[in-house]
Amino acid sequence: MKTPLRILTALLALTLLATACGDDSGDSSSITVYSGRDQDLIEPLLEAFTAATGIEVNARYEGSADLALQIQTEGGNSPADVFISQSPGALGLLAGEDRLAPLDSSLTGLVDPGYAASDDTWVGITGRVRVIVYNSDLVDAADLPATVLDLTDPQYAGQVGVAPENGSFQDFVTAMRSELGEDATAEWLAGMAANNSPNYPKNSAIVEAVGRGEVPLGLVNHYYNLRALEADPSLPSVNHFLDAGDLGSLVIVTGGAVLESSDAKSEAEQLLAFLLNEESQAAFAAGTQEYPLLPGVAAPTGLPALEGYATDTIDYSVLGDGLTGTIELIRESGLAQ
Amino acid sequence: MASPSSATSLSSTDPTGDARERPPVGLLVLGILTGVVFLGPFAYVVSRNVDLGTDLGSIIWSADTWEPLRRSLWLGFMVSATSVVVGTGLAWLTIRTDLPGRRVFRILAPLPLVFPSFVGATALIAAFATGGLAEELLSPIGIDSLPDMNGFRGAWLVLTLFTFPYVYLPVAARMASLPPSLEESARLLGRSPWGVFRTVVLPQVSSAIWAGALLVFLYTISDWGAVNLLRYDTLTRDIYADRLFDQPRAMGLALVLGVVALIVVSAERSLDRRRQRVEVVRTRAALIVPLGRWRWPALGGVVLVLGNALAGPVAVFVFWGWRGIRANSDTIGLGTDLGELVTPAVHTAQAGLITAAIAIAVVLPVAWLTARYRSRVGGAANSMVVAGFALPGVVIALSIVFWAIDAPIIGRWYQTFPLLILAYVLHFGAQATRAAHVAVGAVPERLSDAASTLGAGRVRRFFTIEIPLMTPGLLAGAGLVMLSTMKELPATKILAPTGFDTLATEIWSAGESGALAQGALASLALVAVSAVLTWAVVLRRLDHY
Repeated sequence: MKTPLRILTALLALTLLATACGDDSGDSSSITVYSGRDQDLIEPLLEAFTAATGIEVNARYEGSADLALQIQTEGGNSPADVFISQSPGALGLLAGEDRLAPLDSSLTGLVDPGYAASDDTWVGITGRVRVIVYNSDLVDAADLPATVLDLTDPQYAGQVGVAPENGSFQDFVTAMRSELGEDATAEWLAGMAANNSPNYPKNSAIVEAVGRGEVPLGLVNHYYNLRALEADPSLPSVNHFLDAGDLGSLVIVTGGAVLESSDAKSEAEQLLAFLLNEESQAAFAAGTQEYPLLPGVAAPTGLPALEGYATDTIDYSVLGDGLTGTIELIRESGLAQ
Repeated sequence: MASPSSATSLSSTDPTGDARERPPVGLLVLGILTGVVFLGPFAYVVSRNVDLGTDLGSIIWSADTWEPLRRSLWLGFMVSATSVVVGTGLAWLTIRTDLPGRRVFRILAPLPLVFPSFVGATALIAAFATGGLAEELLSPIGIDSLPDMNGFRGAWLVLTLFTFPYVYLPVAARMASLPPSLEESARLLGRSPWGVFRTVVLPQVSSAIWAGALLVFLYTISDWGAVNLLRYDTLTRDIYADRLFDQPRAMGLALVLGVVALIVVSAERSLDRRRQRVEVVRTRAALIVPLGRWRWPALGGVVLVLGNALAGPVAVFVFWGWRGIRANSDTIGLGTDLGELVTPAVHTAQAGLITAAIAIAVVLPVAWLTARYRSRVGGAANSMVVAGFALPGVVIALSIVFWAIDAPIIGRWYQTFPLLILAYVLHFGAQATRAAHVAVGAVPERLSDAASTLGAGRVRRFFTIEIPLMTPGLLAGAGLVMLSTMKELPATKILAPTGFDTLATEIWSAGESGALAQGALASLALVAVSAVLTWAVVLRRLDHY
């Protein structure tokens, strides 16, 4: 009859044992990475980094927004040395709270000036291009709009899937604010809302819906459809790249940063440099169909060259700082209802 | 020892229960400690609101808050109502009738709880959306328009299908321990099975039904996975949308959600205090009601519910897994991919079992205080424990980061197993505490008093009389905590030791990288592991009581 007590005691002992084992050493030849990028994609690169440098990497994987929130809450005692983010917005938020250490200019200098923070707090690693994904069974390519601004036209009512709560959509709206101003952006959002543009929780959901024929068009990043086609090549979903310079073909970077609280900043910078070397950049292009940002590394096969897409007019540091305003603007427009 | 116990037996005959014996000091201290620990997430939300200088007035008096709040409450109410019908009905049919296949259904019925709601919603969308699986299957027979599952309808359906076990498990446990005598009399007096159920069984299980309904309600208002994918704009969906870039609003809304939960929990508690207590000791096997001509319609109903809540999603996952393996046989292999799931499956089982045991141990003193002594301190601690369930998982996890990271000693446990378990216990303690409350209520005080008169000490009485009597109820609570822990995602991602992958995190990362087949295999593994554990830990033992 004492069995329940015995089981409980054993479980508690087990727990304490687990604690004793979980004790980590503050050894500087190992770094902790908080990665907002997929494990499948990043893990092989981290292993290659350890093989090349002898620096051990502990990696944790989560959504970029939640990682930024976690780093913010952890404060000065954060175990993280490196933060790799899907979106510049999450990096910008942490930079704004002085949580990111300025990077060496030799590191930020690896990419075009438009692809790093103006205050050197983060550096771009890959680029994604905003596209219009369309269902080729339902839409004739000739009927596609010339610019994303035309999508407010009544002929597109109910036709364009959007993801107003998604980071990339918010980055795109922020870019629109910095390019066209508040009023024009509010007007475009209101137009999209008036068109009853169906909204989805994320990019991949839009691509799936377009593939099924639930909605003929959608605003997404370019690589979601490429992945969907890899899984099922018979899908009728096609990427439409708008002309270079159009806001609808904005380049959105994924980036990396070193935390101000890190006690292994130099090892952390070595990792970012490693992710920006030719082999890693080529691996990104092959593995995720994303654009390498290191000049000279070829774009993924079958995609237009990134050079066509002028981005120097858009200040990425504005994208991060301005996100709170963007979210308010989107909420006021009613697009997310 | 004789005098306090005689006081107990006197007061137990007093239905108002106001002149109760004072609880032992040790028990009170335990209750207060538990309440303080469970206060952590609320204190974090309040503290963040103060730090951020949230303009609470403008948040509370805004239609942008009222509308999502109204949707949260409406969804919570509707899902609770349907879960009560489905969960109670299934419990009665599988425990108390001669339903064909009832032993199998008893194992299957709690399992839908193990689907993370985002997984359930994904399966529903895949099945019912335009151009989805159901359309492919049904269009040859002429059905080509399906109901739109987005918004309220889809969220209601998904959450009912995946949360009714919150009602099923405690009610089934209760029904399994009811004495057959009353029902026998009712049947001898010529009552139909339905009449017996309504007039005899239902009143005796109402406390368990309320316990389950409250859990369903709190789960629903805290859920993000389903309402986000199905686009029903509740308070929790807004908290998530604003969590990074509009933190004052997110934290203000979290506070609103927490206060609403506290109000609901307190209201339910005051109702519960007025309900009559049924003390039961079973002496013989439970009565089995013959369904007669209702046998096959009843079976049809059970198959319909479990078909949609369990077989449907499983079929979708099998299809995805099979399609992925066929399409990419070079990159996906059944053997290798299932092999990679072994470690996450072990982690999942470990976390579920340990959390369930600790949660039961932690909440038992509180349940004892509320059920036996009706103590105000116990009541307050109970409200803290239960209302914590309504806060979204990410808020619970961040509150632990917030309190633990800079704390001496505990800070060193950050991202280790004990703090992860603490997060699970804080989040899911509510599920154990209501079940424990019902379990303690099922122990007749006179039995313990009799043992005490015969010279049995406190500890001996606890282990020889009370624990065996409480076991069905406690196991039901443990089962709920275990299944919830096994699917938990936000706290696992933030607080688990680095490399501690669970099946839920595997499903999530497969979803992030668009690897439908791997996600489907991990989901199937989660169902399989939870089926085995539910049977081994909960149901096998429930049968003996």
